[in-house]
Amino acid sequence: MKEKIHLFLESDLLEKYLLDTTTAEESARVERYIAMYPEVREAYRELEENLETFARLYSRKTPEGLRERIVRSIQQQHAGRSRFRRYAIAASFAALFFAGASYFFWNQNQNLQQENALVNNKIQVLEADMKQQLEDVRNQFIVLNNPQTRKFLVNGNQKARELKAIAYVNPVKKLSYINVRNLPQLPEDQCYQMWAEVNGEMVNLGILKDFRDKDQLLALPYGEKALGYITIEPQGGNSTPTVQNIVANINY
Amino acid sequence: MITLLEKHIVELLQEGNDKAISLLYEHYGDTLYGVAFKVVRDEELAQDVLQESFVKIWNKAHTYDASKARLFTWLFRITRNTAIDKVRSLSNKSEREIQMDVSGVYNVGVEDLRPELMDMKQQLDKIEPRYRTVLEALFFEGMTQQEASEELGIPLGTIKSRLKIGLRELKKIYGAASLLFVYLCIMP
Repeated sequence: MKEKIHLFLESDLLEKYLLDTTTAEESARVERYIAMYPEVREAYRELEENLETFARLYSRKTPEGLRERIVRSIQQQHAGRSRFRRYAIAASFAALFFAGASYFFWNQNQNLQQENALVNNKIQVLEADMKQQLEDVRNQFIVLNNPQTRKFLVNGNQKARELKAIAYVNPVKKLSYINVRNLPQLPEDQCYQMWAEVNGEMVNLGILKDFRDKDQLLALPYGEKALGYITIEPQGGNSTPTVQNIVANINY
Repeated sequence: MITLLEKHIVELLQEGNDKAISLLYEHYGDTLYGVAFKVVRDEELAQDVLQESFVKIWNKAHTYDASKARLFTWLFRITRNTAIDKVRSLSNKSEREIQMDVSGVYNVGVEDLRPELMDMKQQLDKIEPRYRTVLEALFFEGMTQQEASEELGIPLGTIKSRLKIGLRELKKIYGAASLLFVYLCIMP
């Protein structure tokens, strides 16, 4: 151990450390030795004292005004630093505020975009619906006003004697409508369904429900010598008509 | 051993109290200025170096660790390194070489021949020139031991031993210098 310390003291590491010319590794080693061995600690203390003694031998009177210059420059820097700190704090708050505001607006923008897409969609659906309805109304108008339109009265058979309907057929415009005026009451598990046989094909025209508006016209697919049927079907409708449940035939 | 004064200055420094600067200047200003001057060999440059060093000392106060070095050692390192950086940044190599040639005849200026400095000169003369040259080269010229060996034409082993002996030689004048330091400190 003594040998190790002796070798260490013989090397110039301590002197180099004193002058701050050691590498990080060397510094760590020196600091370890200083902490561990009193001899090294004592040698280092002596070196520090000697350095001060040596340096003091070169003391030189500082010129007039240098102290004030130094104090002023430090005070300015001090003031600058605290000013900088104040600005930094203010800037941090501003940045935080803008980040918050940006997020808020971004979020709002996203919501508005979603809402906008939804509204646009609704408008398109409404527009299509409106066009459809307008077209329907126009056709109804044509059919009802055209002198070439033929009008058929449709009555129900024995299964639904109170069924009354009027069919309008215009062979020129190739349009057909039906106005169901009255439908007898059915049990809750049954409904009326309308069908049309056009050019040999059976077309499902849907379930007849809610006939409070008795003036409503229902479009029928047009066909030469087409046949319309109203059948009684289970609630919810059927995919093919139940022939024995036909309550009315419409020849148009 | 840490003196009360050192402790007080360090506390003020680390608190960011600018009274520390005045105290440092009073107690170490002349020595650090001397160190700066010895390295840069120019009054104006030495003043700039001292100013920059004090700013660094102020800014780095939180890095000072009393368990690793005495306050003076830390101050010396900062001043010396600042001065060496200044000389290097000027990169006026040729001029510096000329100055180094005349370093042998360097002396305290006539205007600075104050009695205490005369004493110091005498103290300095107590160190044999061969040791002094090595100490100066290492302490003030910013040379590594290898560079000093090449510059002074002395083997590296001799540089190492002269540094050691030179520092030991200082012990001879240590007592006197300490007394002088006390005398300087109590001077109004």
